[in-house]
Amino acid sequence: MSAETQQPLSPTTGEPISTIGRRARAGLWTLIVMDAAGTIAIIIAYSYLWSLNVNAGWAPPGAALTGSETDQSLPSSPPKASFAVEWPFWAILGLVILSTLAMWFGYKELKRGNRAGMIVGTGAALVIAVFTLIAQWIQISTFPFAAGDGAYASAVLLLCASNIFNLIILIFLQLGMLIRTNKGLVTKAVFYQPQILSYWMVWLCIAFLLGAICTTFMVESPNVNPAIFGTFDQQS
Amino acid sequence: MDTRPTGPPDEPEEPTNRPPSMHRVKMWLRRPYAKGIVALTVIIGVLLLPMAWIILIPMQATGAPASEIMAGIEQTIFVFTIVSIPIVAFVYAVLVYSLLKWRKHKGDSIPEDESPAIRTNTIGVALWTGVSSVLAFFLVVWGLIELAQITSNSYGTISADQQPGDEQSVIVNVTGQQWIWTFEYPQHDGVTTEVLYLPKDRPVYFNVTSKDVIHNFWLVELGVKIDANPGAITQTGVTPNKLGSFNLRCAELCGMHHAYMETSIEVVEGETFASVMRELGGGRTS
Amino acid sequence: MSTETITPTSTVFGAEVPQPKQHGKPGGIMRRLNLGTALIGGVGLAAISGFVANALIPAGASTVTFAPVAPDVVYLAILVGWTIGFSAGIGAFVGPIRWLFGRDLTHADAEYMAGKDLGVKRYFKFTTDHKVVGVQYLVVTMFILGFGGLLAMLIRTELGVTWSEVFSPGFYNSMIGTHGIAMIIAMIVSVMGPIANFIMPLMIGARDMAFPRLNALSLWLLVVAAAALVSTLFTGGIQDGWSVYQPLASQGPPAMLGYQMTIIVFAISTGVASVNLMVTALTMRAKGMTWSRTPIFVYGVFGAALMGLYAFPFFQYSQIMALTDRIWNTSFFNPLQGGSVWLYENLFWLLGHPEVYVIIIPGTVVLFEVMPVFLRKPLFSFNFAVAGIVGVVALSGLVWAHHMYMTGWAPAANYPFMLSTEMISIPVGFLVLVVIGTMWRGLVWTRLPIMAVYAVIFNKMIGGVTGIYLSDVPVDQYMHGTMFVVAHFHYMLMGAGLFGAMAGLAFYFPKMTGRVLDERTASIGFWTAFTGFQITFMAMFVAGLQGMPRRVLQFDSLFNAPNWISTIGAYIIGLGMLIFAGAVISSWTSGDKAPANPFGSKSLEWQTPTPVPLENFEVLPVVTQKPYSYGVVDPYQKEMDAADGDLDTQKVGSNQ
Repeated sequence: MSAETQQPLSPTTGEPISTIGRRARAGLWTLIVMDAAGTIAIIIAYSYLWSLNVNAGWAPPGAALTGSETDQSLPSSPPKASFAVEWPFWAILGLVILSTLAMWFGYKELKRGNRAGMIVGTGAALVIAVFTLIAQWIQISTFPFAAGDGAYASAVLLLCASNIFNLIILIFLQLGMLIRTNKGLVTKAVFYQPQILSYWMVWLCIAFLLGAICTTFMVESPNVNPAIFGTFDQQS
Repeated sequence: MDTRPTGPPDEPEEPTNRPPSMHRVKMWLRRPYAKGIVALTVIIGVLLLPMAWIILIPMQATGAPASEIMAGIEQTIFVFTIVSIPIVAFVYAVLVYSLLKWRKHKGDSIPEDESPAIRTNTIGVALWTGVSSVLAFFLVVWGLIELAQITSNSYGTISADQQPGDEQSVIVNVTGQQWIWTFEYPQHDGVTTEVLYLPKDRPVYFNVTSKDVIHNFWLVELGVKIDANPGAITQTGVTPNKLGSFNLRCAELCGMHHAYMETSIEVVEGETFASVMRELGGGRTS
Repeated sequence: MSTETITPTSTVFGAEVPQPKQHGKPGGIMRRLNLGTALIGGVGLAAISGFVANALIPAGASTVTFAPVAPDVVYLAILVGWTIGFSAGIGAFVGPIRWLFGRDLTHADAEYMAGKDLGVKRYFKFTTDHKVVGVQYLVVTMFILGFGGLLAMLIRTELGVTWSEVFSPGFYNSMIGTHGIAMIIAMIVSVMGPIANFIMPLMIGARDMAFPRLNALSLWLLVVAAAALVSTLFTGGIQDGWSVYQPLASQGPPAMLGYQMTIIVFAISTGVASVNLMVTALTMRAKGMTWSRTPIFVYGVFGAALMGLYAFPFFQYSQIMALTDRIWNTSFFNPLQGGSVWLYENLFWLLGHPEVYVIIIPGTVVLFEVMPVFLRKPLFSFNFAVAGIVGVVALSGLVWAHHMYMTGWAPAANYPFMLSTEMISIPVGFLVLVVIGTMWRGLVWTRLPIMAVYAVIFNKMIGGVTGIYLSDVPVDQYMHGTMFVVAHFHYMLMGAGLFGAMAGLAFYFPKMTGRVLDERTASIGFWTAFTGFQITFMAMFVAGLQGMPRRVLQFDSLFNAPNWISTIGAYIIGLGMLIFAGAVISSWTSGDKAPANPFGSKSLEWQTPTPVPLENFEVLPVVTQKPYSYGVVDPYQKEMDAADGDLDTQKVGSNQ
């Protein structure tokens, strides 16, 4: 260990860990910018298509017939496509927030020197993240529409696919954090990795929140008389 | 005692501390490179000036301008060229002067430092920023005004069911598809043609759409252009003011035979237009 | 720290540093992985994926529009297999897996991965040394430029032979699309890849980039993407221009999937590279190198990386959506079912415009490094250079819809976008001011890097003025979609961008390759290409002004003459580029060994020995002065001071 500072040094470059941590945090900000741009791309797709309602194709076919207008007279009529139920998006967001809180708890315990607390927190965060992944998968497989059912369906499925992707990466990172803490590679002195993971999870909460806002507040398109494809007339 | 009224003093006033006007500018201009670069700027500027006319020659090769819009476009290019010349001439003058007078060393040996260590020059920077900002501002204002004028000649965002229905104006529904253009005249019983007939000196409004991929509806000599999008109706307009046969080309890659997606525009007198419509099977209905 | 176990230590730059457990020989499994294993992995997994996909698709399956499903899905499976297999074979997954299980790298591991004592083999492995990555980027870029250049010659041949069709319309459309995207990729990488990677850590007094393993990853992902791009020529070709507008793209052959995968992978490569470059510039400058003592090249690279960082995801997602539209029948861009072509165009151009600044800014700041050395004079107005870069980066995200003036998506939006587009000419103008100000009264040492600056500025002014025409919406109403636009962007991206990159290569050649560049031959090649360039693209302006649309292989006889002239010019460009490339290659393989600082530069990267040792600096430098400290006191300054002084000593008016 260096005589001037009591902090550990990086084995590969010999630099103090605080320098490595600073670099990692800077890297995290740039990664968040990149992921935010991707998230905004999805949000743009969702909201732009919602506002345009091209050829009246925003809503899944038959969506206007959900609820009391559904034709009940034929017992064997096929299920009609419709907009997704809204509460699962918020439930999944809630799970992500819970996982983030658990992670933060673990990270704070680590900074206090309590390694067991870090393992408990990270472990809980990991378990919750796995639950979230399963929940997201269940939500996708029970949507009342498929990929080919119009622009809304496409946008929602892309949003959920992005969520799944983020959750898989998150589980990988949390698992690694758990294993490494166990092995003593993550300690009170070498804390920068749980630190940036905790920051990253806050960003994930924001990303999931944006998706939930879209699917709750931008459902029916405001454009009620779009042009009919290939003609010069409009839907009445 | 001398009682004459005192007139102006016989001797010149005492010299003051104020330097002669434009003292520093005149001193700067006495430097050989300053004279050279200013002279070169003027020379290059004068040599570039004909570009403002030359650029328009290829544009007018097939009969343009055939509308006020196209005339405005040509005038804009003319003005923009002239406005760009001062800065381009100055930059090129510095390049040329440097090649003529400031080339000093050749070969492999590293030269001694001999150039003046100028890290900044407030006057130069301020002048450049000021001039370029004023020119850019002028271009923007010119462009915005011209755009507003063009848009007032065409729809922009008015929906198809709020079109002007007066006697004067002509409405054409344009459909692009791989790889032909079809024109429908709703005011003439919905007559469809594959050649665009337009009457001279009457405002024409176009509703444009596509049946498959993105095409681009380009009336070359009339200076009108708008994408034909599948799933949307776009609008534009023009008043042709010249008789003749002009080009209509597709200006957006639309597949294998994009290059052949052309047809002609026939601008004819008003009565000729009406009789063409009748011959094609459409009486005037609106 | 526990004292029961004896922790192994290594001497790392003079300090004893505790090391994690050494698993196996230094480098572990990376000892066995190289380009060969990567190709085996990539081709192998591609083939397996293809066969499996083929087996799983029911015979005769077709989409709702009666197109056969098999070619698309099989080709996609091949591309995904190629990406994963190649990455695994080169060792890209080793790092994350070792991290997961807590098998951290030791110093010996890190040295192995940096290529210590591996000789020429290190260029064929997942090597983390930024100097190796820089050279690898240079080679890959030259390949892609050659590929795109060959396509350009074929395109011009078709356009020059106006009396018949040389190629079928479908193949011609493939050539222009593939040429476009290949050149765009090559130009994005041309300075940021080879020069920023090799030179920037040296320039700021660092031992490597911030994330050396990410550096290697970004290079090998480029190789994966480039291979996917070349494969498209064999699966029908990218027949929709480089912008691949929907819904025409969904009519295209399976090659469109190749385009989508190329971009998806390339976006990851660029994103990772941007992260690396930005964090390196932010956190690894040497002690004493405050921002006012940082060379302008670093600012430019940082700005370009930032633009790439925020803009590339939009392009990536536009291609992901195009892919799902094609394979899973989503309707992001299918108007029949609620999709919008304008969505595609917006997402595309949100990248498409910042991207041209990602190309032009590094090319410009390389010249800012060249000029002080060969004029023996400081850079003029460093602050305005920074202001220019900051202005361009800030405005770059606000101008994209000037590519969409004619789409009708939002006619009212044309006004603010015209304003922002004209405004961006001001910070770009600052960069020209810096060049002219540096050249002002500078005595020129007429070597190729500085002579190239004249060519670049000449071209940049023409590109800039024609860009001003295009930024005006009414003028664009004539010019959009014509060859005028093609000539304009070639003046900027090739005339200023590529020639600037060539100047940068000529400058840094001795440091990067350890050899002296044969400047005489390279200059002949450069100026031949420059002459051909003027002929080709000036004639192309004429064709555009006459009304020739772009992306057409047959046209009115009115456009014959300009096309003949352009084609002759293009062959001259080809000849010039071949001569230049020949000079580069022959100097690289058999040129004289270069001294450490052949140009007498005062910048940090030239204070290293040539060849640059693995650790760059024995002792990390401490910076104490501003960059570009060349030149002598201005003789005219004394004259100006003296003149003012004379006036001061004149008698004040007195009453006599």
